Amino acid sequence: MPGPLEGIRVFDMTLAMVGPVATRHLGSLGADVIHIEAPEGVRAPSGIPPLIRGTSSNYIQHNLNKRGIILDLKSPKDKQVAYKILETCDLFVENMRTGVAERLGMGFADVSRINPRIVYVAITGYGSSGPMAHTPGSDGNIQAFGGWNSITGSPGGGWEASRHHTQMDFNAGNYITQGALIGLMARERTGKGQYIDLSMLGAAMAVQTSRIAEFFATGKTPPLMDSATITTVPHQAFLCQDKQWVAVGVTKEEQWAPFCKVLKLDHLVGDQRFKTNRDRVVNRDQLIPILEERFKTLPRYHWIMELNEVGVPAGKFMQWDEIRFHPQIIENQQIIQFPTKAWGTLYEGGPPYHFSETPATTFAAPIPGEHTDEVLSEFGLSREDLSHPRSEP
Amino acid sequence: MVTPLEDTKVIDITEEIAGPYCSMELGDIGAEVIKVERLRGDTTRGWGPPFIGDQSAVFLGLNRNKRSIALDWTKPEGRDILLRLAKDADVFMDDLGVGKADSLGFGYEKLSTANPGLVYLSITAFGEKGPFADRPGSELVAQAMAEVTSSYGTIGEPPVRAGTDMASTFTGYFSFMGILSALFRRSHGGRGQKVATSLVGSALYMRGQLWMAHSDPDEWTGFHLDSYIKPRDHGYTAKDGQFVFGIRGVAGLESGDFQRLLKDLGLEHMLSNPHWSRFGNVSSTGRYGYLYDDVWNEKFSKMTLAEITELIEKKHGGNVYPVNNYEMLFSHPQLPYIDMVEEVEHPTAGKVKMTGMPWKLHDTPGSVRLPPPLLGQHTDEILHEAGYSQGEINSLRRAKVVS
Repeated sequence: MPGPLEGIRVFDMTLAMVGPVATRHLGSLGADVIHIEAPEGVRAPSGIPPLIRGTSSNYIQHNLNKRGIILDLKSPKDKQVAYKILETCDLFVENMRTGVAERLGMGFADVSRINPRIVYVAITGYGSSGPMAHTPGSDGNIQAFGGWNSITGSPGGGWEASRHHTQMDFNAGNYITQGALIGLMARERTGKGQYIDLSMLGAAMAVQTSRIAEFFATGKTPPLMDSATITTVPHQAFLCQDKQWVAVGVTKEEQWAPFCKVLKLDHLVGDQRFKTNRDRVVNRDQLIPILEERFKTLPRYHWIMELNEVGVPAGKFMQWDEIRFHPQIIENQQIIQFPTKAWGTLYEGGPPYHFSETPATTFAAPIPGEHTDEVLSEFGLSREDLSHPRSEP
Repeated sequence: MVTPLEDTKVIDITEEIAGPYCSMELGDIGAEVIKVERLRGDTTRGWGPPFIGDQSAVFLGLNRNKRSIALDWTKPEGRDILLRLAKDADVFMDDLGVGKADSLGFGYEKLSTANPGLVYLSITAFGEKGPFADRPGSELVAQAMAEVTSSYGTIGEPPVRAGTDMASTFTGYFSFMGILSALFRRSHGGRGQKVATSLVGSALYMRGQLWMAHSDPDEWTGFHLDSYIKPRDHGYTAKDGQFVFGIRGVAGLESGDFQRLLKDLGLEHMLSNPHWSRFGNVSSTGRYGYLYDDVWNEKFSKMTLAEITELIEKKHGGNVYPVNNYEMLFSHPQLPYIDMVEEVEHPTAGKVKMTGMPWKLHDTPGSVRLPPPLLGQHTDEILHEAGYSQGEINSLRRAKVVS
C-alpha cells in the first residue's frame, strides 16, 4: 500500500545528520526521495562508531527510505542532470552552510526558475543572519546553547546534556519535515512552491515550548529536579521496597483521590494543603516525604499494578534488554527489524505515526550511488551524461 | 493573505501537552481550531505555579489560536453536539484512550460514516494494541519506558528525566505531520483516514540511532553504546559558566589548531597520550572525553568564558558555545534574528510572551491570531455557528451539558 505522500518527489541535497533525518521521514511517508551524494562521498558522519559491516550505523540510520545517486554539482554536465531531475520534483531540502547552495547554482532562485512549484526547505545552525549566521550548528552545541541542558539535572548539580544520541539533530530534522509538509499544503492553495527556512536553534526552542512558558511567566529558568516536574505533583520517580524506582504521574485532578487510596493515605484527600494540583505544587516539600516513605513499604510491581488499575499512570524504568522483546513495543511496531542487502537485519524505531489507509514504511538506505543508473534511465539519461561516468560507490 | 490550512476545521478534544501542541501548530498555519474541553477544563489549566494571574503558564504556552467550548460529552446531548461539530470538520483529535471515544459514541467509525473525508487523530500513551493499550500515561512514565533516563544521571543515583517534555512534544509534532500527510493524501484521493500516535512510540522512535547501533555492530563500542556507562555530560566548566567548544577539522582530520590550543593551555604533554591524537576522541562528547574532564577543567576553571572565547575562537579558529539557561538565551544578541518570540494580549493575563514558530514560510507565514481561550469562552458562538438557537443553548447550559 502506498504511503500518504505517494507521487511526491524530493530532491535531497542534505548531508550529515539534520537534513538526512528529515528526508528519511518524507521517504517513510511514501515520497520518492532522491539523495544526491558527491563522487568522493562524504559519508558524514563518517565513521562514527559503531560500524555495521564497515559503515557507520548513523550513516545507515539517517539515510533509510531513499534512493541514492552520485552527482558532482560542481560540474556543468552533472548540474544539467540535476536540473532535469528538479523539473519533476516537489520538494528540495538542503542543510549546508549559508551561501553554499547558491554557489553551486542550487539556491532558491535557481531552483524555482526551473520549477516554480518546488517547495524549498533550508536550515542553518543559528539562523541565516545576525552575529552567528556562519556559526556551525550541531547537536552538542545546540543542546548547550539552546537551553535544553539547563533544565535537566539534579538539584545543586550542573546542567546536563543528553549524552547518548543526537537529539537536537533529529529534532531539527523533524521541523524541516514539518516545513516541507506545510509547504505542500500551502501549494494546494497557491499553486506555487515557496522558500521555507529554519534554524536548529529555533527548532530546539520550539520543542521546549512547554518549559519556556514557565520562564515567560517567572523570568527565571525552572530549577533542576531530577525526575520531578515543576508544574504537576506528584509526577516523579519513587524508590520502592525492592530498591527499584517507579515512575508515577498525577496529572489530572480525578487521579489524586485514587492515588491516595492505593497508597493507603486516604486522609491526604481531604488535607487542604494538597487539595488541588496547585496546592500540591506549592506544598511539595511537605507532601513528597510522606509519599517517599510509603512507596518504600512495597515493591514497584505492587505500585505499578495497583495504580494502573485505578487510572493513575505508573511504570518501570526500562532498558534495551527488556524493550527489545516487550510485547507492547513489538505489537505496536515501535521498534522494528527489517532486512538489508549490505548490513544484515537492522533494528530501528518504527514510524511514529500509524495511518489506517496509507501506511508509512521503512526500507534500507542506499549504498552511495546505488540507484544512479536507475534514476538516470527514468530521465532518458545514462552515465555518459555525467562528468564522472565511472564513479562507483 | 493565503495560509497553508485556511478553510480547515479542527475539532480537538485533547488535553495536556501532546494534542494541544499539535493543534496549536495547526492553528498557527491558519486552521480553525475548536478546542472542546470537559466542564472541568483542560487539566493543564491547573498546572502550576507558575500562573500569570489565574492562568497556568503552561496552558497559555500551548493553546493560542484556538476557541474554546466546554461540554460534557458523557451526556447524550453533549455527544450530539460533538457529532454535529465533527460532521463538517476536516480533523478530529482525541486522546481519551483506546476504545473510549467509540464507547461514548464518537469514535472513528461513527464520525467517518457521517464524514468520510475526516482525518481522525488518536493519541495514546503506549500504542493502540498490546497489554498496555488501556494504561494511562504521563510524560515521565513515557520517558521511563523509552529508557530516556539512561541518557542522564548516574547509575545508582536517582533517575534524571529530560527536562524538556520531549515525549509529549515529539508526539505533538508527529501528530501534526501525520495530519498534514493525511490531508495531503485526501486532496489526492478523496478519503479521510485514522492516524494514531503514542507518547512511548514517539520517544522510542527518537532514539532510533541507539537501536540501529545495537544491530550486530562490528564492535560493541562507539558513541551510542558507550554512553550507557559514561558519567553525566556537563560540558566544560569555566570560572563563570559551563560551555562546550569545537575546533576546525573535518571528520577526524586535524588542522593543527588542536595541537596549538593544547600548547597555549599548557596541555602539550597530553599529546604523548594516544587518546589525544584527535580532538574528537577527548572532547566532551568524544569516546574518551569523560576520562579527561578534570584535565580540561583544571585549566578552564581558571579562565572566564570571555578569555576562553578569545583563545579558542580568535586565536585558534574554533567555536565556543556557552551552556545557556533561559535568561542567557533570551538576552543573547542572536535571538532577534531567529524571530522565535511572539506576544499576544490575553483577556485576564495581559500581555503574554510565547515561543514562536521555527519554520519561516516566506509566502504564507504562520501567525498568532487568537490568544489562548478562557474555558468555554466561545461556547455560544460555536454553538450558534453549528445551528443551535439561543434558546437551545440556554437550556443546554441549564442542564449542565455545556458551560
